[in-house]
Amino acid sequence: MADEILRIENLHVSVEGTPILKGLSLTIHRGEIHAIMGRNGAGKSTLANVVMGHPAYEITSGRIFFKGEPLENLEVFERARAGMFLSFQYPAAIPGVQVGTFLKKSVASVRENPPKGREFRKELNAAMDQLSMDKSFLSRYVNDGFSGGEKKRLEILQMLLLQPHLALLDETDSGLDIDALRIVAQGINEVAADSACLIITHYQRLLDLVKPHFVHAMIDGTIIRTGGPELALELEDRGYDWLEVTA
Amino acid sequence: MMYHQMPIPPRSEHLWRYTPWPRIHPTKPDDVPTADDVVFSNDGPQVLSSTEHSQNTQGDIARAFLQAAGGSSSHMSLNDESEPVHINARASGHVAVGHLHLDVKGSAVVFLHISGEPEWVGLHITGTLHANAHLAFGFINELDSNTKFLRCEDWQLARDSSLEHATLSVGGFRCKSDVRTSLNGTGSSVRQSITVNADGSRHDDEHVEIHHHHGHTQSDLVMNSACGGNSHFIGTGLLTIAEGANKSNASQVFRNLLLSQKARAEAIPELEVLADDVSAAHGAASAPIDGNQLHYLMSRGLSPEEAESVIVNGFLYDAFSNLTNKQLLEEMRTRLTVHLECELKR
Repeated sequence: MADEILRIENLHVSVEGTPILKGLSLTIHRGEIHAIMGRNGAGKSTLANVVMGHPAYEITSGRIFFKGEPLENLEVFERARAGMFLSFQYPAAIPGVQVGTFLKKSVASVRENPPKGREFRKELNAAMDQLSMDKSFLSRYVNDGFSGGEKKRLEILQMLLLQPHLALLDETDSGLDIDALRIVAQGINEVAADSACLIITHYQRLLDLVKPHFVHAMIDGTIIRTGGPELALELEDRGYDWLEVTA
Repeated sequence: MMYHQMPIPPRSEHLWRYTPWPRIHPTKPDDVPTADDVVFSNDGPQVLSSTEHSQNTQGDIARAFLQAAGGSSSHMSLNDESEPVHINARASGHVAVGHLHLDVKGSAVVFLHISGEPEWVGLHITGTLHANAHLAFGFINELDSNTKFLRCEDWQLARDSSLEHATLSVGGFRCKSDVRTSLNGTGSSVRQSITVNADGSRHDDEHVEIHHHHGHTQSDLVMNSACGGNSHFIGTGLLTIAEGANKSNASQVFRNLLLSQKARAEAIPELEVLADDVSAAHGAASAPIDGNQLHYLMSRGLSPEEAESVIVNGFLYDAFSNLTNKQLLEEMRTRLTVHLECELKR
């Protein structure tokens, strides 16, 4: 399919010999927003990390395709350059590396025709204004001493600047107050309009602001139910036990 | 005691454990070779005048040797300097030695750049900071990669004076530094940052002593080294807080980044606290590059080599983050950037 962005086929993944994902399949097309919900330890973050190519995760069987091409031979940075983006649940701090320098380097690495000089600054300023970020952020060290909310804003700022074809958002709503959540959601909506988006979340509150086309419930390493936005409301209301019984 | 009267210090002494005196001596320990002058120059209006060598060897063999070896000896008085002072120390010949004394009243920013290609260079810097004086001092070692380098520094700080001291050590084949600061007056403080980039078979031994002789004094030491190839870095710190020096506040942090299997790094902070009411903290860590940092940068499109380079450069820059003097901070970072860019082109 021409607008297929991500296809996961019967994916099995282990970490240090422990199976985490157990036969997960999922397809996402351009313009679609998918949300994955599930208990802690269900394998949600593993899914995001394995799609992005984290070396700690071993694919024991199954395949992942990005825009129709198999991903297994692509290293992490090649996936990023191909247009994949992961907003980390716990972004790493890089002491001594200023945010401004890092963003410039990252945009130059990922974008096909990266903006330069004044053009880059203009784009950066616009994105920072959109996320209500102070310009002093640029001289701080990447995620070093950042609050939870600041880290999440920086992740979304990167997403806006890198313009990915696939955005994986791993609990981007955690640690955000109501105002910050609204600002971050606005950023996600902007990117999602022209890309594919997979949101991993525990709560309905982000999905009130970023309307998913599909909601998936994940239990024990696999998707056991898929529905529309109403499924998120039901999960919020009833928890996950009833799904286990059904399964 | 004169050099020839001194016994060679045993390796059991903390100071000489990793770089024994015979390894840093220019020839053989019994010998005091005729030294050429390290030539000090300065483009600004401040006068560099000739003076006698410091006679205070503190019973230390390295200082006694530098005194016996002779070489040049210069003195500079600084008094509320509006512009940073750049002193160039140029070493040449086979063995070169220089002595420099700074006498500081008011505020000053001083950079000392040492360069040259002798087989061996010795440098003894002494400084007196009078009451209420503030000195930001940057030392940049850009000696040839085949040079052995011995550096001793002694700083005396009077009441309410402050020293910000930054070292960028990227030159020389085998380096031994011994920087001692005495906080002699109430309210005096020292803030010290050391960045070491070691590669190939470079050996760099940085010893720092900070002595709190009075109460209400502060010290803060950060030492970051990145070690690649077969290099060996040693960072030792001796922090003493004298009896009665209450309300002193001291911290020492040593971080080593190991970039290859064969690189070695030691980080040994030592504390001797004889006062009751003080705050003293120290920490040391040696580790390879954090896989999470690497993964994060690669997930933003940086190749593994680019990501590693960004992490190492950031780590080295970060040692200067505790500096508060902007001119010192900017100059040290600029020098580090130039060094890293030159290294990249090699």
